[in-house]
Amino acid sequence: MSSLVLDGAAARRRRIASVLRRDFFALRRDPPRMVDMAFWPTTELVLWGLVSMYMQQNRVHIAVAMLLGAVLLWQVMHRSQGELAFGFLFDVWSRNLLNVFVSPLSTLEYVAGLVLASVVKVTATIGVMATLAFVFYGFGLLTIGPGLVPFMAVLMVMGWALGVVAIAAVIRFGQSAQIVAFILVFVFQPFAAVFYPLSVLPGPAQAVAALVPASHVFEGMRAVLTGGGVGWGGLAVAALLDVAYVAGALAFLLYALRYARLKGKLSRFGS
Amino acid sequence: MTVLEAVSLTKRFGPVTAVDGVSFSVGEGEIVGLLGPNGAGKTTTLHMVLGLTTPDTGTVRMFGRDLARHRAWTLSRVNFAASYVSLPWVLRVDELLDVFAHMYGLRNPRRQVAEVTELLDLGELRDRRYGQLSSGQQTRVQLAKALLNEPGLLVLDEPTANLDPDVGDRIRELLLREAHRTGRAMLITSHNMPEVERMCSRIHFVSGGRIVATGSAVELAGAYGVDDLEAVFLRVARG
Repeated sequence: MSSLVLDGAAARRRRIASVLRRDFFALRRDPPRMVDMAFWPTTELVLWGLVSMYMQQNRVHIAVAMLLGAVLLWQVMHRSQGELAFGFLFDVWSRNLLNVFVSPLSTLEYVAGLVLASVVKVTATIGVMATLAFVFYGFGLLTIGPGLVPFMAVLMVMGWALGVVAIAAVIRFGQSAQIVAFILVFVFQPFAAVFYPLSVLPGPAQAVAALVPASHVFEGMRAVLTGGGVGWGGLAVAALLDVAYVAGALAFLLYALRYARLKGKLSRFGS
Repeated sequence: MTVLEAVSLTKRFGPVTAVDGVSFSVGEGEIVGLLGPNGAGKTTTLHMVLGLTTPDTGTVRMFGRDLARHRAWTLSRVNFAASYVSLPWVLRVDELLDVFAHMYGLRNPRRQVAEVTELLDLGELRDRRYGQLSSGQQTRVQLAKALLNEPGLLVLDEPTANLDPDVGDRIRELLLREAHRTGRAMLITSHNMPEVERMCSRIHFVSGGRIVATGSAVELAGAYGVDDLEAVFLRVARG
């Protein structure tokens, strides 16, 4: 037995890899899911691209860059949340969750596997979108400059935090809570000030927006595209908020699992 | 050697006591059955053993270690299959087994997948999607998954439910052969009395969340003054 099963860090790496492999096998066998990864982002890109070209033609300068930059970066957060939550829901829908929970895979290893899978898939999605944005509208994502990578990192981490909250909600409240996976990111969209400056929001909403990591990113992106430098201070605030979001999300997940085990609710995912 | 030791397990769901002070053990190479009517507390007991449900009181020790404290270590030495659990329908059989071989942290996933594929005679099914398989074939894949890590304890919740008698018999044969070959311990629930009689060396009858009788099939029939296990079941179920 001891020679059959790995121990320690090697076992952890292998268990995390199992989640990644599961995700990619499923993706390979599920063409509609692959289409979904590119279809909606591309649709949004085309839609907002046409709107921004119309605005540009009517002398609203830099509208193309502003809107397409916003669409692309918004997809980073939206997709990060979605890929994480739907990776979990895949196990719920296929009645495989009990197999996962009776395995040695820990909660944090499971989440780590889902995160890694989402990094690969989101990177692929954004790659396709950025190429299309350049080909159709001449917008290069790299014009955002050195802030691009930290901007995307902050948005990804916030997306993961929201994804973990969606997973925790399903575990805590049951399958009817899966709606959270579909809508949670949109609850934050108005406060993230994706398509307009923060100053457009009413005062109280601006206070809320200041606590949303994504709002600092989109403000920062607009500042860069209007000729300002990267607001590293704002990025630092966003990163700290991300840490708080992730900590809160993981605490909620661990609470939800403890609650579900105590109330026997995990067992119901088998039926 | 004691593989599993469950001590004073109790679980209440609101006003209902699903499991009430249940204690039992499973030794190396032993096949133990939990028998009882629907709602008796069998599945809740199994789920406490597997860490899916936290007991209100009581402890579960496996291979000498406390499950709550050594979760990854103990669960990497146990496996589970049940008629009510499925596997991802879109994945191929070889992909499913690969995923679980990694999930159990196996040192050589490819070799173990090849071994269980041969053991369960899945060679011709390896490139078929799980969702395309018949119930009997799906059960074989689930058992292959459950044997991947060569578990010291195999927990089976109604493993042959939904199977026709022929397939059910083949599955039982295979499980018994494997148990004898490896000295593997098993904990089984079933409503199929001949299956329990044939497989289990020791049977715990559960009713109202408590173990009300323990023994071999012959001992239990003798204790209740009846001919077989089914008659014992009816006596217990009907009070």
